[in-house]
Amino acid sequence: MFDFTVAGHVVPVFLLVLTGFTVGIVGGFIGVGGGYMVTPALIVFGFPGYMASGTDACHIAGKAVISSIRHRQLGNIDWVIALSMVGGTMLGVELGVRLLNYTKAIGLSGVVLLAASVAVMLGLFIYTQVETQKSHKKMDEDSKAGREIGRDVKVSKIPLFFQSIPIRPFIKAGKARLVISMWVIVIVGVITGVLAGFLGVGGGFIRVPALVYVVGTTSHLAVGTDLVEIVVSGGYGALRQSMSGNVDFMAVFFMIIGAMLGAQFGSLATSFVRGPAIRYILSYSLILATVGAAMRLVYVLTGGTVEWLSFVAVVFTLGEMIFLCLFIISLVWFSIRHQHGKTVPPWVPPLVVKA
Amino acid sequence: MKWFIDNMFGYWILLLAISCGLSAICYEYFLRALMK
Repeated sequence: MFDFTVAGHVVPVFLLVLTGFTVGIVGGFIGVGGGYMVTPALIVFGFPGYMASGTDACHIAGKAVISSIRHRQLGNIDWVIALSMVGGTMLGVELGVRLLNYTKAIGLSGVVLLAASVAVMLGLFIYTQVETQKSHKKMDEDSKAGREIGRDVKVSKIPLFFQSIPIRPFIKAGKARLVISMWVIVIVGVITGVLAGFLGVGGGFIRVPALVYVVGTTSHLAVGTDLVEIVVSGGYGALRQSMSGNVDFMAVFFMIIGAMLGAQFGSLATSFVRGPAIRYILSYSLILATVGAAMRLVYVLTGGTVEWLSFVAVVFTLGEMIFLCLFIISLVWFSIRHQHGKTVPPWVPPLVVKA
Repeated sequence: MKWFIDNMFGYWILLLAISCGLSAICYEYFLRALMK
């Protein structure tokens, strides 16, 4: 088998291609970079921490470009929101990184960061899961009553509050069909950017729910619009990491080969499902990442003495990528079966597009 | 088995079990040596 060496470790090439492929599918489908999955996976493969982080940043930027192009073709990008938000996001990331440096300087350990990650992701998971289940139930009822179901259904009233804030200037987002104060968009960008910078992640898993539940876009538009943000923020991150010599370009090359196929499939898969299906996968991704971070937290708190916890964390890190990938592939498969009038599980029809 | 397919939570558990099994195989065959 063709393998190569990174910092003294032999890395199996097919695992890099597979990682690029699986995270490409997930990223293209729910609009995240997937750094919270890829960086731990690369460390498992034997990359040093700094190299894992840099290689991941570079791969995310490349993958986001591929996904964005496909989502643009599918009409899933609102350029007005994307361009209004990007400045706030960059400012927020810079503030988040400075906050992180400050907390390190005053002696707060990594435990606090891990605990903060767990709290943020758990909160987002609970809200997304509860709201999506309500939407799913509503769609199921509408379907049984013979009413037509839209491409996206949300029961959250939070966006109406934010859209009614009367502070000028307003922006008219044609694709998302909404008018909203530009300050809301900028502040959403800053806050999600701060969280992303502070937690050391790309921030897609925070921005996508924010676009859906605060700004009020559909799930499909949130995915495409967030990927544009990732192109900019990920590109900046990739540049910074490359200049610091933290990137292994051979590894990036092989991961991008996998991502080229995965990101195309993940992006196209969104056209087979309705909004709540995307939010379900997003919430699953959040809870799995939360459990992974909680395991690392327990491992750190126990002083790295619990051997089996390390094994479980490795299996879980790789397992969550495979799980999300299989779920997305099966949703597409169920959608195709449903379109051809074949039997599908009873929970599937409200989540997939019929024709 | 029917419950695992017809119930969304059951399907979730089924896929997670399959995925963790696959990743455990992957770890055993390809990664154990790298982790030492």
